[in-house]
Amino acid sequence: MSAYLEVAGLQKNFGGLQALQDCSFAIAQGRITCLVGPNGAGKTTIFNVITGFLRPDAGHVVFCDRSLDGLTPQQVVHNGIARTFQNLRLFADLTALDNVMVGLPRQFAEEPLGAIFRPLHAARQQTKRREEARATLAHVGLADRADERVRNLSYGEQKLLTVARVLATGAELLLLDEPASGLSAGALDSIMALLRRLQNEGKTLLVVEHNTRVVQQIADDVLFLHQGHLMAQGTPQQIIADPALAEIYFGGAI
Amino acid sequence: MDFWFSYITLAEIYVLLGLSTNLLVGIVGIFSVSQAAVFGVGAYIVAHFLLAAEPMSFLPALGIAAVCCVLLNVLVTLPALRVSGDYFVVTSFGIQLLATAVFTNWTAGTGGANGLPGIPPPDLFNHPLESTGELTLLCTAGAALGCLAFYLIMRAPFGRLLRAIREDESAVAAAGKNVLRAKVSAAALAGAFAGVAGGLYATFLSFIDPSSFDLDASILLLTMVVVGGARTLAGSIIGPFLLLALPQVLTLLDIPTTIAASMRQLLYGLLLILFMMFRPQGLAGEKL
Repeated sequence: MSAYLEVAGLQKNFGGLQALQDCSFAIAQGRITCLVGPNGAGKTTIFNVITGFLRPDAGHVVFCDRSLDGLTPQQVVHNGIARTFQNLRLFADLTALDNVMVGLPRQFAEEPLGAIFRPLHAARQQTKRREEARATLAHVGLADRADERVRNLSYGEQKLLTVARVLATGAELLLLDEPASGLSAGALDSIMALLRRLQNEGKTLLVVEHNTRVVQQIADDVLFLHQGHLMAQGTPQQIIADPALAEIYFGGAI
Repeated sequence: MDFWFSYITLAEIYVLLGLSTNLLVGIVGIFSVSQAAVFGVGAYIVAHFLLAAEPMSFLPALGIAAVCCVLLNVLVTLPALRVSGDYFVVTSFGIQLLATAVFTNWTAGTGGANGLPGIPPPDLFNHPLESTGELTLLCTAGAALGCLAFYLIMRAPFGRLLRAIREDESAVAAAGKNVLRAKVSAAALAGAFAGVAGGLYATFLSFIDPSSFDLDASILLLTMVVVGGARTLAGSIIGPFLLLALPQVLTLLDIPTTIAASMRQLLYGLLLILFMMFRPQGLAGEKL
């Protein structure tokens, strides 16, 4: 079986810091893979490299047998991979609906000429796309918050909105950076249920997560990253049961 | 009556400039302090073609000016497409000073500090618009078209994309959108607005000199946007009408003419500071 997403030999230095060192792994289609590891292990750097925000010093990223090397973030999205950010990066002054609509691909009048010279067509198209965006919001459970500005949403709602925004792009592989961090127990349950639902609908998820309870409940596979290198790979049970990994993870070495 | 027509006409020309500045500074967040330079290039180009030995008619000259200003504005905002915020203000400042230097010293092209007098009135389809009323109509049409374009853009996906870019470029890129192309489009559009405004200005006043297109003029445009209200159509209209009325109000006060000009600058500066402190969203806008 060929891998869905494969990264091979990734290398990235920031000054003297080796953020990624010969990092290689593959993930399978239709599964939820959790990327775990202590702070500074390179988890977010991996996301940045896969999605084109950072150029690796060496190594390759292959998605569905297509090389993603050298692509811009925008081109990576067009290839079917979209990401969220740990610090959300929502458009705070826009409504929840507008945040989702920014993500919709191939919109008419996304340049000035169409907007000015074919205004009626633009308005009609936009009405259609707005329904699409509303459906996406409903899908993550934010239907009744659509017209609220993001700054008025609760943190949990904002987290759900980041997922809605990546869903809007139509991407098949979703890279979620700590979707569950900082959430209350109730919000945690709803986001875990959402991730499961997305998997059932055929999405593949690569999730950075710190909360071991979340990892145990949602992950099919776990990748354990340490000092920019893949240290272990397995089921959640295998990873959690490994005392050497727990030692690294919880900083027992000090 | 003529006084009112002149005031309205001038304010309408500045509405186009307000739209240009608002689009760039308010909506996309490219903090340009050189919009008056682009305005000036539009004015000089139209003046040049109308004053030529074989004068061109107004609309083609205006078209050429608009195209040149589109290219120019894309060029001068190019640094902002790559570097962010603070650095660009300095670059933009330099561009404005450079433009003023060219306007003042390139005597053969711009008449230097003496300016270009005797610019003929605009003509539409071989009919020269000589009365103030006709000129007002022309500028009203120009400003109305500008406002319509601005309105249509802001309600289209393009407008939403620009607002999103101002808030977070990385997030826009992560949503699969081409940030660079959107910024270039916005700069082009702002250039077209400024170029058309320049052409209308030159033919309306029939005389232009560098003082209309210097740093003070750029700052006046920013003040209009701040006072009127950033990021809204209403703000781009209210600002020019209000700030151009100010000098007229000042003439009612008993101030010697020698200090009236500096008094005006002082008031503009004061308004800018007070609005930034107490009402950053302007009269009819959103927070800058």
